[in-house]
Amino acid sequence: MSKASLTGALAAIDAVNADAGLPVYFTSVQRDPCGNADAYGPLCEEILRDSSARHVVGCVTSLSRKEVIPSLEKLDGTLWYPLPYEGFEASDRVIYTHACPNQHLLPLLDWAMPAHGRRVYLTGSNYIWGWEINRLARMTIVEAGGVVLGERYLPIGATDVERMIDEIRVSCPDFVLNSLVGASSYAFLRAYHALSLTDPRFTPERCPMLSCNLTECEFPPLGAAAEGLISAGPYFRGISGWQGQIDFGSSHEAASYGAVTELARLLAHHGPGSEHLPLAQLLAGAGGMVDAGTHHTRLPVIIAQVRNGAFEVIQNRGIVVGDPFLSRDVGTAATPLRVVS
Amino acid sequence: MKRQVRSKYLGGARALILHRPHLNVLALARQLRAIGLVVDEAWPELGAQALATDFIFFDADMGYDGQFPWPAGEAPMPMIAMIGSEAPGRIEWSLQIGAHAQLLKPITGSGVYSAVLIARDAFDRQRAQAAEIADLRRRLDGRRAVVRAVMLLMQMGKSEADAYGQLRQMAMSWQISFEDAALRVVARYAAEGGDDQRNRG
Repeated sequence: MSKASLTGALAAIDAVNADAGLPVYFTSVQRDPCGNADAYGPLCEEILRDSSARHVVGCVTSLSRKEVIPSLEKLDGTLWYPLPYEGFEASDRVIYTHACPNQHLLPLLDWAMPAHGRRVYLTGSNYIWGWEINRLARMTIVEAGGVVLGERYLPIGATDVERMIDEIRVSCPDFVLNSLVGASSYAFLRAYHALSLTDPRFTPERCPMLSCNLTECEFPPLGAAAEGLISAGPYFRGISGWQGQIDFGSSHEAASYGAVTELARLLAHHGPGSEHLPLAQLLAGAGGMVDAGTHHTRLPVIIAQVRNGAFEVIQNRGIVVGDPFLSRDVGTAATPLRVVS
Repeated sequence: MKRQVRSKYLGGARALILHRPHLNVLALARQLRAIGLVVDEAWPELGAQALATDFIFFDADMGYDGQFPWPAGEAPMPMIAMIGSEAPGRIEWSLQIGAHAQLLKPITGSGVYSAVLIARDAFDRQRAQAAEIADLRRRLDGRRAVVRAVMLLMQMGKSEADAYGQLRQMAMSWQISFEDAALRVVARYAAEGGDDQRNRG
């Protein structure tokens, strides 16, 4: 995932620098915290202190994002965060260029419950992503008259998924929402794929496996177990439209590409010297994809399923404004979403 | 009556910031609007709009008694103190005013959402407890009336069991609570000018 973000950002820097029509030239300063949560703050500080860079693209987990915010505040920097997350944050130092729950989870449930039913099994990693996604899912499902048959968590990295699989086999839900991450998720998806081969009640047609953050980045470790998985996101490989006609490897790549090109557009809009503008002024009156109030972005919302090794669109719900606190009555092109109340 | 916040996620709720114009107010207002609230500012007078707001953020540093149109500690909405100086006197004043949560200056975006949710929860619990205490007090007073009513009926020659039986009968036929029936008996007996028992407990 971090490689995809880096690829997208570097491709965008090349594109901006090659664009004769843009009076902006970027140089990149790179630091790799290697996934160590304690290294993000110091390395972000190093970038802002030792170079003229004021905008940082990066971070994968919410933990790492929260780690860099104090450094951004102290040294007047901005983070462009290009990964899906669980919402309920609107830092004035961060721009969120990937989806939050009204752009992934809620549309996914809004599609899945009428299509498959309201009896749901929830899994997650013991981490804010799993906890918050499942909390919101449970609330949405119960309010829709559905029932949560089980909700199980694993520590990050744990792969003992047998109990989850057993409970799914016994409770026979209409669909499963998977918010496990990393190795736990791969182990779980492989075990569920194996179950579907022996028990026809658990094929993708009868009991699909849904997630809010699955992208093409995870195809290699999943192999055949990726087949039939359903995900929501702003982009899937081969679907042009978002960020122009470029074919990205995944939405992570597209979201970091979009972060850099949007920054270039804002700098060009305000003219020379605008690299020193406070973020609020940089965003003011400039239009574009970023909502100046919440720093979240207008994104396509697409629900897609892995078929023959690639995502195929099930439903394209058009452009949806990010609503991190679920407090605005934002709709989608397909079905107006209720604010969960 | 105060308008209730309908949305669990605060969309459209109103917040009033009682603080002189300042960067802290800008940062707070920005974050509250991002969360979805409608924000008003006031200083130093709260104004009538205070009664229609759902949350009040007040300056603990320069705030003073008399800024709020209700008795200290009885705000009809959650109150959040904006604290710069952590001097004990200022914290004590914030508590007297009835702070349900606090934000430390300088105010940035972080901490605002949790302060709103914690204040709302503390306010709801405080209000539920106050209602429960009032109900318990009413029932306690009722038990005193029952004892007095039974004693009055016993003075008229009834046994204790018969006195209780008569009270129960009255409550049923008047379709009121046992305690309220006892209050009526006590009041009627006193009004009829019998042996005045009002000072006996």
